[in-house]
Amino acid sequence: MRDKPWYPVLYMFVMTAFFSSILIGLARFTRDRVELNERSAVERAVLECLAVELPARASSLEVHRVFLDRVSGPVPAYGGAYVLREGGKVAAYAVPLDGKGYWDRIKGFIGIASDKRTVTGISFYEQKETPGLGAEIVQPPFRSQFTGKRIADGRSPIGIMPVGAALGPSKVHAVTGATQTSTRLEKIINDGLLRWRSDLASAGGGQG
Amino acid sequence: MMSADPAREMTASAPKGPKKESALGRAAIEGLWNNNPVFRQVLGICSTLAVTNLVLNTAVMCLALTGTTALSCLTVSLLREWTPHRVRMMVQTLIIAFYVILVDIALKAYWPDMSRNLGPYVGLIITNCIIMGRCEAFARSNPPVPSFFDGLFCGLGYSFVLLLVAVPRELLGMGSILGIPMPYFSTGWDKWIIMVMPPGAFFTLACLIWALRAFQARGEEESA
Repeated sequence: MRDKPWYPVLYMFVMTAFFSSILIGLARFTRDRVELNERSAVERAVLECLAVELPARASSLEVHRVFLDRVSGPVPAYGGAYVLREGGKVAAYAVPLDGKGYWDRIKGFIGIASDKRTVTGISFYEQKETPGLGAEIVQPPFRSQFTGKRIADGRSPIGIMPVGAALGPSKVHAVTGATQTSTRLEKIINDGLLRWRSDLASAGGGQG
Repeated sequence: MMSADPAREMTASAPKGPKKESALGRAAIEGLWNNNPVFRQVLGICSTLAVTNLVLNTAVMCLALTGTTALSCLTVSLLREWTPHRVRMMVQTLIIAFYVILVDIALKAYWPDMSRNLGPYVGLIITNCIIMGRCEAFARSNPPVPSFFDGLFCGLGYSFVLLLVAVPRELLGMGSILGIPMPYFSTGWDKWIIMVMPPGAFFTLACLIWALRAFQARGEEESA
C-alpha cells in the first residue's frame, strides 16, 4: 500500500484531520474561558483608568462585580465612553482608545473626570509592542504620569514629549528608546479624545 | 557512609548498564555543549535575538520551545515508519504546529497575562529552525526515546544560551533581572537602552558565541 501513488495524499489527509480535530476540540473546550479572560481584561482596564480601587490580586469575578456595580456603558449619549457613577452622578468617563501601534493594534482607555478635562488614568488591554521598550507603556512608571494631567483644547489634547523636555499641564514624557510607539500612541490618544469630544457635542453633550 | 554508597553503586552498575547511561549522557553533552544548537550549529538565532531582552519572557519561551522540541521529535520518531519520504517535511511542520498551537491555547486560557506578554512570539516557535533541524537530522531515523531526549537536550542547550543572553541584556539595559530592580544597576548605573533594543542582542550574542567557542576550542586541544 505504501508504494501506491495515493498513499502520501491519504497519509497527509489523515494526519491533518487527526491533529486539527484535537486542536479544534481543545479550542472549543477553552473558548468560554478565553472569552471570559478577554472580557475581564477590558473590565479591568476600564476600572484601572478610572482609578477605581481594586483589591490586590483581584480575581476576574471580583473585577466583574465591581464593574457591574459602578460602571455602565459604553453609553452613546456620552460619546461612546464607559461611565463611572457615584451617588447617581457621573464621576468620570473611560474613553476608548484604539489604533495602530508600532507592531500591532493598541487598545485601551483613558479616564477623564466629570469636568471633562482632568485625566484620571490610562490603561491598555491589548498591545504587542516590543517587550522592554514600547511595551513599557503598560507599566506604572509611564502610565502614572497621566494622572492629574489636564487635556488641552484644540487638535492635540495630550502631548508625548521626549525625555528631558519641559512639561506643560497636558504633556507627558515618552518611553526612552521607544520613539515609534510613543509617536503612534500620542496619535491614538488624541484621535480617541477628539472623537469622543465631537461625539459628545453631537449627542447634545454636557448632560453630565 | 551515605556518600560512600552511591559511589560504590555507580562503579558496580557501570559495567552492567553502560549502554543506556552513556546514550543519555551523550545526548546531554551533545545538545548542551558539543553540538549546542545556538553557538555551535547557529540555529534558532532569530528567536535568540528577538525574545531575549526580558528574562521572564525568555524563560517562558525556553520552556515552550524545549517542550515543543522534545514532543515533536518523539512524535516524528513514532511515525517514522509510516511517513512517506516525500511529504515528511510537511508532516514535521504539521506536528510542530500542533504542539505550538497547543501551548498557545493553553497560555490564552490559563495564563492570559503571559500570553499577552509574549504576543506573537509563541506562534513563531513553529518557524524555529532547531525543532525542524532535530526532526530532520535525528528523530526521523532514530527510535522514540533517544529522539525525545535529543530534542529535550537541544531545547535545554538553546535555553541556557538564551538565558545567558537575556540576563546581561535586561541587567545592563533596564537595571533589573526578572523585573526585580538590582542594586547599583537600578540606581547608580546609566542604563544602556541599546541593550534592550535589537542591536543589543547582536552584540551580546556575538560576544557570547566568541567566548563559548574559544572555551570549547581550548577543551578540544587539551583532549587531542
